Amino acid sequence: MKDFTPKLICFSCKFGWGYLNGEGWNGTIHNLIPVTCSGQVDTTHVIDAFREGADGVLILGCSDKECHFQTGNYQARKRVFLLHKTLEKFGIEPGRLRIELGLDPDGSRIPVIMEEMKETIKDLGPLLPTV
Amino acid sequence: MADKPKVAIYWMTACGGCDEAIVDLNEVILTVADAVDIVLWPVALDFKYESIRKMEKGEIALSILNGSIRNSEQEEMAKVLREKSQIVLAFGACACFGGTPGMANFRSKEDIFDWVYKDAPTVVNPNNNRPQPEITVNGNTLTLPRFYERVYPVDDIIAVDYYLPGCPPPPDLIANAIFAVLEDKLPPRGATLAPGKPLCDMCPRNTSKPTRLEISEFKRVHEIEADDDLCFLAQGILCFGPATRSGCGETCIRVNTPCRGCFGPVDGVDDGGAKFISSLASLISAESEDDARRAIDGIPDLAGYCYRFTLPSSSLKRTT
Repeated sequence: MKDFTPKLICFSCKFGWGYLNGEGWNGTIHNLIPVTCSGQVDTTHVIDAFREGADGVLILGCSDKECHFQTGNYQARKRVFLLHKTLEKFGIEPGRLRIELGLDPDGSRIPVIMEEMKETIKDLGPLLPTV
Repeated sequence: MADKPKVAIYWMTACGGCDEAIVDLNEVILTVADAVDIVLWPVALDFKYESIRKMEKGEIALSILNGSIRNSEQEEMAKVLREKSQIVLAFGACACFGGTPGMANFRSKEDIFDWVYKDAPTVVNPNNNRPQPEITVNGNTLTLPRFYERVYPVDDIIAVDYYLPGCPPPPDLIANAIFAVLEDKLPPRGATLAPGKPLCDMCPRNTSKPTRLEISEFKRVHEIEADDDLCFLAQGILCFGPATRSGCGETCIRVNTPCRGCFGPVDGVDDGGAKFISSLASLISAESEDDARRAIDGIPDLAGYCYRFTLPSSSLKRTT
């Protein structure tokens, strides 16, 4: 599995992550999807990403009590926990879906977290289509 | 006799409940029987597949297929009936979405055979015999249908014109569907012959639903005595009403049982299970990570619950 490069999709809240650094949004990070709130990321978006070939999905939301829309980050987190329980039955390990709540105005941590998650996924291997 | 429209009723991976539901039309079935010529109905009448194969293309006005597809005989008959029929109606949750037998798609065929022919505690099979699609006995070849790797909803195998979900579909919608065919009053092809709104909109308990639902702990129906007027979700009992199509007559709700989702997703939604997870997340009252985990860990077999009737047609399991 040495040559395996995981395909990672990252949904990132514009209120908490990388808003000072335009470069972060403009193609320097592959497969980064800016959203206006992590609560906007629906279960169907996550499932569609896996269906279309993603090996992992990362959601970046605002830190505790800091959601611009009050509770969007909490809604996203509950969805992720529910999805962990559900997707495991489909052969998609919890390590392939991660949510990180925090504040990172210049977005410098985004590639770091993405690389870290890619390492976890490398150990899990590519996501194979289930029967 | 010859002028009456021909109707075929066929069962595949099904329990017989859908056929029973047609019988439950009661006296209406006499009107139906007068108006049509039934040419196939394995559960009730003795017709031969061969007579169907000999028919002309489009000779059958309506084929009502219930059950999902898991073996080669079912696939073959579905294709024969498609060729011979002007209209194919996927009848019941199994035909429309895969149904309860579709939950087998969480496991492989090998897992299933291992359990059924080897590991189940009641099995005595010292020679590890397994069903074979073909075997020669005394010079004669015997065949069995091939058991597929997975369960398919009917529209994964053949084109389906209309859908009538339910486990089983209720008599009023069955009668409406059959008379719509007879009177040529059908909606555009591809339609589901049931209302498009979610069950909550029709639920007799809807008025008891608080403005904001906040569930901090989930309960199962056997763990509490459920109030028979109050919204199930308000009592912490999982109810699939928010993500399920209405039209069932709310029969489960009226006997104090939460909705399980047999009518499948509402109009415009492909994956009802995923949508239910989204709506469920917003009903859970937990701001801390620990509270959220605790509440969610209180739901046994969430995947089985969310895809009880729809696993083969879910986004992640669909083949088409």
